[in-house]
Amino acid sequence: MNASASSAQGPRRYVIIGNGVAGNQAAELLRERDPDSRITILTNSRLLFYNRYLLPQLFKGHQSWHAFLANPPEYYVQRRIEVRRDCRVVSVDTRNKQVKLAHNEPIGYDALLVATGGRSHLPEDLADCRSLFHHFGTYEAAVTTRKALPDNGTVVMLGGDMIGLDLARTLLAVSCRVILVTHETTFWPHKLTAEERADALAALEKMGIELIDGDARGGVTSVEAGAPGLPARRVVFRQGGDLYGDVVMPFYGLTPLVEFMVGTGTDIERGLLVNTTLRTSDPSIYAAGDVCQIWSEQDHAYRFYYGYKNVRAMGAVAAINMTGGHEHFATTQEETLGRDGQGHIDSPFWACE
Amino acid sequence: MNATDIQIAICGSAGDGTIAAGDILRNAVAAAGYRVICFDVYPPEIRGFGKCISRLRITTEQSYSLKRQSDVLVSLDDSHTIPHAGEVRDNGAVIFESQPISPCAEGEHMSGHVLPGQIPYGFPIRELAQKATGGARSRNLVVLGFIAGLLGLAPASFQKIIEKKFAKQGPKVVARNQAGFQAGFDAGKGSFKLDDAAFGPFEKPASAGKVIMLSGNAAVVQGCIDAELATFFGYPITPATTIMERLATELPKRGHRLLQTEDEISAMAATVGAGFAGARAATATSGPGLALMAEMLGLATITETPCVIFVSQRGGPSTGMPTKTEQSDLNAALYGSPGDAQRIVIAPTNVEGCYRCAGKAFEMAERYQTPVIVLLDLYLSNRYETVTLAASGPPFVLDANKPLRRLEPGEVYKRYALTADGVSPRAVPGDAGCMHVITGLEHNELGRPNDSAEMHTAMSRKRHDKLQAALEHPDFAVTKRFGNTGRVKVGILAWGSTFGECLEAMFMAQAEGIVCSAMKVVMLSPFPTKAISAFMDDCDAVLVPEVNYEGQFAQLVQGVLARPVVRLSRVPSSPMPVELILGEIRRLSGVTASAIAS
Ligand SMILES: Cc1cc2nc3c(=O)[nH]c(=O)nc-3n(C[C@H](O)[C@H](O)[C@H](O)COP(=O)(O)OP(=O)(O)OC[C@H]3O[C@@H](n4cnc5c(N)ncnc54)[C@H](O)[C@@H]3O)c2cc1C
Repeated sequence: MNASASSAQGPRRYVIIGNGVAGNQAAELLRERDPDSRITILTNSRLLFYNRYLLPQLFKGHQSWHAFLANPPEYYVQRRIEVRRDCRVVSVDTRNKQVKLAHNEPIGYDALLVATGGRSHLPEDLADCRSLFHHFGTYEAAVTTRKALPDNGTVVMLGGDMIGLDLARTLLAVSCRVILVTHETTFWPHKLTAEERADALAALEKMGIELIDGDARGGVTSVEAGAPGLPARRVVFRQGGDLYGDVVMPFYGLTPLVEFMVGTGTDIERGLLVNTTLRTSDPSIYAAGDVCQIWSEQDHAYRFYYGYKNVRAMGAVAAINMTGGHEHFATTQEETLGRDGQGHIDSPFWACE
Repeated sequence: MNATDIQIAICGSAGDGTIAAGDILRNAVAAAGYRVICFDVYPPEIRGFGKCISRLRITTEQSYSLKRQSDVLVSLDDSHTIPHAGEVRDNGAVIFESQPISPCAEGEHMSGHVLPGQIPYGFPIRELAQKATGGARSRNLVVLGFIAGLLGLAPASFQKIIEKKFAKQGPKVVARNQAGFQAGFDAGKGSFKLDDAAFGPFEKPASAGKVIMLSGNAAVVQGCIDAELATFFGYPITPATTIMERLATELPKRGHRLLQTEDEISAMAATVGAGFAGARAATATSGPGLALMAEMLGLATITETPCVIFVSQRGGPSTGMPTKTEQSDLNAALYGSPGDAQRIVIAPTNVEGCYRCAGKAFEMAERYQTPVIVLLDLYLSNRYETVTLAASGPPFVLDANKPLRRLEPGEVYKRYALTADGVSPRAVPGDAGCMHVITGLEHNELGRPNDSAEMHTAMSRKRHDKLQAALEHPDFAVTKRFGNTGRVKVGILAWGSTFGECLEAMFMAQAEGIVCSAMKVVMLSPFPTKAISAFMDDCDAVLVPEVNYEGQFAQLVQGVLARPVVRLSRVPSSPMPVELILGEIRRLSGVTASAIAS
């Protein structure tokens, strides 16, 4: 039986998986363009959409999650946007047009937008140490990490993508010690030449970040709990040697969250593959944000586009096309890693409105 | 005002252990020193069907009613809980099963009904229960543990209560429930707290007495026992049944007696008979039972026999709504017998009042030789509160039943002697020389039938006047005024359980700058004309909230005093919402909604 929310009788049902920038931008536009429709955002988060770009501020002093909310609760009530929190999507039944939630509830859709973003990537070798890492991707994780970090404590950053380096700036400002174990993902998602990279690393040192060449030590092989009397974590290198810190944070870039789409028949490479209208290979399913790889005529390949501006634009393009428009995504995001007046690195990805 | 003020609602289906969870929670927090008011709602149907809700308000100082909005809502059954999602305030917590045992249709899971301002906490309740105890029966304990862990309550007082509650079922059952609680506690403690329901810093207040947790009916029983009730006759009826059930255990332990009669007519008849025989006697019933007792109540009035009738009101008329609260038996309590059937009717306003009124009822019955009706209601009978029992012992003076002085030789005993205060010397069967006639007929001073107009007038006056003294007696609570003194914009006149809601509304109104006061009227018959009239003199407007349709108390006030009151009579099948009363206070004080918002 097809239990989808078929629009034959009722209003059209849009379901958005993901409560981030892309999902919320799409919801807002969907409401504007289809006032009678039913719009549902599904998210595994317990919080309404909040600004993750501001999370480093937590390390400057305690702030309640209210301070990070992008919209007050009434916003959703007024716009009749249903946000189902604490709901993890585990699969999508494209034949019956249903999204399946972990608690065994189907959610029918007419058009589906996948905007699940990405999770902090962890190299396979380190997967077993997951519980010993300190995380930063959500408000809850950031607060937990902050609580684990003593005043003037030591943070060991592995990798050092631009999300991590943004946090590093704040940590230095509050007199923490930051040790960066470099990796190929350092400066991700910026793509740097060897020369640019060396220059950028020098800039990091100038900022006060202590660098350890991870590759030269064969990479990190494990993270362990520190021994009594020593800092809480020990980082062990493959070619010998170790390093102690109060918290150890992985910043190896993002992995798109697409597991629940596997088996749907929708094309996936690393992310969900979409054309420039952000439609997947399934005509009822669109994707936007960090989760999707968009066809680039120029590169003749599918590629990721990161940054607030891009993600927001993707949410808008998807919404327009889901409501019958025909818009193409084009990036407007500056991608060059720059320097500020003090010679410190400055990234266009750090800017958000 | 209150450092801690948290309301928790647990909702499930009959058989989920919802009420048991509420019971453990209220006892655990009370043992930790908090004050509690708790009201359980359960279905008339048998186990396995119907909705059960246990609502608890936990405070540092005793509160007067439940809040309209809970801070935490727990679902043990989503189908029953979903309609209550809106009860949770913004930033409050909604706790539910994240892994239901069977698939649910779209919209049937709790997560779909959590409002944007609320915080959802889905967690695998059943799975944790299974892992910890090998079965799902301890889900209610898992949930309790989760609440304790999330809100930062120490587990020790819970563990003690669990131990006590399940001790009879053996160590295995105790251990299973402790394990369920612990699993939930760990999950709650490990959950990132996003809601803002919090227990404030707690200093155990020095209390002059013993603090115990009682339901209204249990408080009635405690009052009966402390007043040394000797005989009880009853016939079960919701919501009064638990009075009889408890007394059935307690009275025999003290060498006293309880008899379940074949119906309410004989229960009342036996109570009158026991009272006549000199035994301290009582019965308990609800509206339909009171109707059957009407004739025998008249007999108690005309024979001037001390006896006490506890009436717990429910939705009526007739069988009505047995599990819903109402205050619609006032007229029946006041007038529900043929003839000028004078009697005392008192109504406690909270659980502590149930205890006090129960004991005082015997005092009044014996002092004035009259039936006394104690008017409760389902909300009061079934709700739990922490009650302080005075260290100095029961506050009852039960000396009116003392034996008669010996008669002088040749002196004729007049059972119904017309005395200055209307109270005649009372003999009980066996008192030497005091043999007298007693029937349901109007009588002369000797008790012999007499239907002359003069005697009927004299006896009617006697039966009427003797009760008036109760209004002036220093030991009896008649009315009490709260809030602003002197002239007020709005005066709230309330009786019974609704007074708690009125008091909350009055405090809220005062916080908004409205000058108002509230008078609780404990004695409904004889009518406290002087006190109420003086109160009304001070009020620009008088509001009478009550849970009945006809405005029975408002009618009484208007009938006696011929002064206007504003009625707020509703039958919501639940206690009167505080906000409704507050809205009326605002309206009557001329405060507009926009003024409040600003
Ligand atoms: C801490 C942090 C700081 C950052 N700072 C910056 C910055 O300063 N500048 C910048 O340009 N970029 C920054 N980024 C990257 C930026 O967040 C992303 O590019 C952007 O948020 C992507 O938006 P999105 O809508 O695609 O996905 P996200 O914002 O990641 O949102 C994905 C949503 O999907 C939900 N979800 C995922 N899987 C499921 C599932 N199975 N079921 C239900 N829900 C699911 C998640 O809970 C989340 O609500 C930062 C990222 C992080 C984590």
